[in-house]
Amino acid sequence: MSTAYDVIPITLVTGFLGSGKSTLLADLLQGDAARDTAVLVNEFGEVGLDHLLIGAIDAQTILLDNGCLCCAVRGELREALATLYSRRSRGEVPAFSRVVLETSGLATPAPIVATLLGDPIIRSHFVIAGTLTVVDAANFEWQQRDHPEWLAQVSAADRLLVGKADLIDQVRTDRLFAILTELNPTASIVVKQTSTDTNVLRASLFEPGDIHNMIRNLGKAARNAFPSRSQAPYKHREGLLDSQVTSFCMTFDTRIDWEVFTLWFTMLLNRHGNSILRVKGLLWLKGSERPAILHAIRHIVYPVLHPENVDADLSGDKISQLVFIAEGLTLDRLVSSYRRFQHQLEDCSR
Amino acid sequence: MCGMCGLLGGGNHWSNSGVPVDGASVRRRRHLQVSLANRILTAFRLRLDDFQGQSFILRSPTGAVELVADFTEIWKVAEKMLGRSLDPLVLFENETDQ
Repeated sequence: MSTAYDVIPITLVTGFLGSGKSTLLADLLQGDAARDTAVLVNEFGEVGLDHLLIGAIDAQTILLDNGCLCCAVRGELREALATLYSRRSRGEVPAFSRVVLETSGLATPAPIVATLLGDPIIRSHFVIAGTLTVVDAANFEWQQRDHPEWLAQVSAADRLLVGKADLIDQVRTDRLFAILTELNPTASIVVKQTSTDTNVLRASLFEPGDIHNMIRNLGKAARNAFPSRSQAPYKHREGLLDSQVTSFCMTFDTRIDWEVFTLWFTMLLNRHGNSILRVKGLLWLKGSERPAILHAIRHIVYPVLHPENVDADLSGDKISQLVFIAEGLTLDRLVSSYRRFQHQLEDCSR
Repeated sequence: MCGMCGLLGGGNHWSNSGVPVDGASVRRRRHLQVSLANRILTAFRLRLDDFQGQSFILRSPTGAVELVADFTEIWKVAEKMLGRSLDPLVLFENETDQ
């Protein structure tokens, strides 16, 4: 079955105040590259400035200036997207084929994702293509220490773009990379330097989530996962002690019973969703030779994908893995909890 | 919610998008999911039933009945009916957990 209307990909661009989101968009959305792109800019404050900053770009820019996108203008975001689609359908605006949504620097992505996935009209016409988080290399220490939004933005990313890397030395760069890799092991990292090819940056903005790349990243994350902070020798962990945020990979030794898993996972998110910044994983279900891609931010779970034709190299051992970025939860507790569910429920599920 | 029939429309919930090709009908899988959920809920004297393949009905021992859209809501409503939390990290920790 095919849809009789277009489903337009949205790229969410987030990053802390001053990290360089608008500059990045101004650089990338010039000329032909922006011709089929609509840009929604969210401003925090009474007077919107960012639309002036990126005024030079050729894309259609809409300013959402009623406040922070994470709380005040979710209704406005919904209205803006619905109106944009409606005007596109009527031919009042050029038929753009993608949308870039730049959030304010203080927005946490989860409520925005909830708006995009939760509204029946919006989710019928738009699909989230990915979240790009711009990280300010020159200021990451205090932003990480003082602002929980920084952590939420980094953990929500599918791709991390490190800006202002020219301004810091190699030691700080290494430290930043180590922190980012630990906090969000499934995200790919691109460094923006003066010498970086614009096409590479543009790809990080627009390329849809590649399933194979994600599986590769998951495998990497599983190998590098840090089962608990106490076992980690890395110096940068000291900087994470206050936040108590860890990432770990949960590996399942048997095929997943979907019904049992959904009961366990919905219950887990209901009680501990506020502590779970991100879950990303690949599940091999009983009765299916196609993996299920699970992707969640806090309480919100994205539509589950069942991709076909996954490379045999990547799917050879067919081991289910979930990477958690969580605060105050441990791998051991999750594993033993899931095993108890399996023990109690699976014997009667078939 | 559908204005014509009053259904909540929870059919789109992610938990309904299970195994794409294993021969089991969507209906059968849903009944299986309900029966498994009741294995958990019965211990707390709650009961869940499917409603039109779109929503669920959750009943408490005191006669409270609520129509809920999906499993995300079921646990919230169950906790409200019970007046206590349902934490999967401690559930089934000992068989006498009530």
